[in-house]
Amino acid sequence: MKFLQALRYFCREAAVNLLRGWKVSLLAVLTIAVSLFIGGAFLLVSGNLSASVERWRGEMRVVIYLKPDTADADLRRLAAEAARGPGVTSVEPVTAAEARKRFGEVFPSLSDLVAGWRDEPLPASLEIGVSPDGPGATEREAWLDGWRKRAEVTLVDDDREWLGQLETVVAVVRSVGLALVGGLLAAAIFTIASVIRLTAYLHHEETEVMRLVGATEFFIRGPFYVEGLLQGLIGGLLASGALYGVHRAVLARSQGSLFSSVLTLDFLDPRQVAFLVLLGGAAGLFGAVVSLRREAL
Amino acid sequence: MIQFFHVTKRYPGGQAALDDVTFDIARGQFVFLTGASGAGKSTLLRMIFREEVPSTGQIIVNGRNVSSIPESKIPYLRRTIGVVFQDFRLIPRKTVFENVTFLPRVLGTDLQSQKKMAYQALRRVGLAHRLNAFPPELSGGEQQRVAIARALINEPEILIADEPTGNLDPELSREILRLFLEVNLRGTTVILATHDRATIQRVGRRVLTLDHGRLASDQELMGTDPPALDPLAGMETEEKPVPERSEHSERPERSDRPDPFEVPEDFERPEPPPEEPGA
Repeated sequence: MKFLQALRYFCREAAVNLLRGWKVSLLAVLTIAVSLFIGGAFLLVSGNLSASVERWRGEMRVVIYLKPDTADADLRRLAAEAARGPGVTSVEPVTAAEARKRFGEVFPSLSDLVAGWRDEPLPASLEIGVSPDGPGATEREAWLDGWRKRAEVTLVDDDREWLGQLETVVAVVRSVGLALVGGLLAAAIFTIASVIRLTAYLHHEETEVMRLVGATEFFIRGPFYVEGLLQGLIGGLLASGALYGVHRAVLARSQGSLFSSVLTLDFLDPRQVAFLVLLGGAAGLFGAVVSLRREAL
Repeated sequence: MIQFFHVTKRYPGGQAALDDVTFDIARGQFVFLTGASGAGKSTLLRMIFREEVPSTGQIIVNGRNVSSIPESKIPYLRRTIGVVFQDFRLIPRKTVFENVTFLPRVLGTDLQSQKKMAYQALRRVGLAHRLNAFPPELSGGEQQRVAIARALINEPEILIADEPTGNLDPELSREILRLFLEVNLRGTTVILATHDRATIQRVGRRVLTLDHGRLASDQELMGTDPPALDPLAGMETEEKPVPERSEHSERPERSDRPDPFEVPEDFERPEPPPEEPGA
C-alpha cells in the first residue's frame, strides 16, 4: 500500500467524519482547547514569574540600614568594609539626606510627609549588590549575621529572602498548573476517546465491509487515529489563539502601570506554542488509540 | 484450491452448524452450494474467507491453512476472494463508485485506475451509468449488482456468492448467472449458494448439498438449458473456451441426472441444530 495515498485517504475520511459529526467533534475540540488554554495560562504565568525572578536575581541587593546618627565618615568606612564581603559586586552608601530625596522622587505625592521633619526621617544605608553566582547560603548568612550584630546597624534587608519566597510561589503555581492540566487533559482524552468510539460505532458496518474485502487493521483504524489527532491539533490551535488574545488584552490594559514595570509580560515563545499544539495532537491521538484498542471495531 | 477436511463448527452452547464436512474444489470449478435454511451454507462460505473459524478440522484455501492463518495475513487471503453477500453490505453514505472501489483503495490503486476499474466492473453488471448514485437510491436488484461489481473488481481467484439472485427478477437473475459463468470461464473458481433449484437444474455443474450441517451429497449435474446461460451463446466463435475440469467434471447423462435437492436415502441426518446466526 502506498503510504502517502493511504494518508490522504485517512485525512479525507477524518475530515468527512469531523464535518459529519461536527457537534460531538466540537465538544471534543472544546474540551481539549479549554484544558490546553488553562495549561497554557499556567505556563504563561509561571514563565513570566520565573523570568521576573531571574531578572530580580540579577539585581539582587542587600540593604543595611544604619542608625540615624551615623556620621558620613562612618558611612564611608562601613561601605569600604562591606565591599570586601563575599560576592559583593558594588556598594552604594546612601546618606539620610539622599534617602529623603529619593523618597520624594519615587513618591512625589507623599513628599510632604517627610518635608517638615527637623531630623532626617529615613536612616542612612548601604546598598550592596551581590552576585547571584556568589557565595553559598551559609557563608553569606554568616557574613550578614556579622552585620546584624554590629552596634551601627538597625536592620539588614536581604532580597534573597523574599526572592526565595517568590520562587516557592512560582513552584506552587507550576505544580498546581501541572496537576490541573493533567486532570483536564485526562478529561479531554476521555472525551476524544468517547467521540472516536462513537464514530467507530457509527461506521461499524463500513469497517466490517472493509475488513471483509481485505483491508488491514492499519487501513481501517487510520481515519479514526487521524480524526483524534486533528481534534487535538485544532484544540491546541484554538487554545493558543485564545491565550494570545487574552495576553494582548492584559498587555493593553496594564500598559504604563506599576504591574507592567515590575513583572515580565512576555507571550509564550514559538516552541512553547508548538508544544501546546502538539500536546493537543498527542492527546487526541492517544485518545483515539486507547478507544480503538478497547473496541473490536 | 479449496479443501475442507472433516470441518465441524459448533457455536457456543449449540449443536453443530457444520458437522464433519469434507470436500475439495479444484481451481476454475463452478460449484453450487445448496440446502435448506439453517443447513450451514452461509457458515461454510464464511469459513472460506475466514469470517468464521472451524471448531475442528482444517480448511485449505489457495494453499493457505485458513484455520491457523495469523490475523495479520487474513487481509491478504481476503484480497484473493470476491464475496457477494446475501444482504449486499453496501455502505449507504458512499456512492456506488466508492462502494465498488473499496479494495483498489485498500491496495493503494491511484484514482484514475480506480475509475477505470469501477467503470469496467459496473459495465459488466449493467450499472455503469449509476456510478455516482448512493445505494438507497438503487433498487434491490441494482444494489445486488453493485455488490457483484465490488466482488469482481479485482478479478478475484475465488468468487463466493450467497444467494446472489435472491432479490432479482428472473431475467436479471439469468443475466447475473451468465455473468458468474463468464467469470468462471476466465478461470475464477465460483461458489454460489442458492435455494433456487430451477437455476441449478438449468445450469448444471457441481452441486454440494448440505443438510443440517452435514454434506448430504456432492453431485455433478448436466444443465437443462445451458445454452441460454452460456455467456458465449450467440457469439460467432468457432470454438468456445472450456474451463479447466477436475475429477468432478465428469457430467452424468441427462437421463441419469439426480435431483440435487434429494437427500440420499442412506444419509444419516443429525439432530436439527439451533437457528444458525446469520444463516
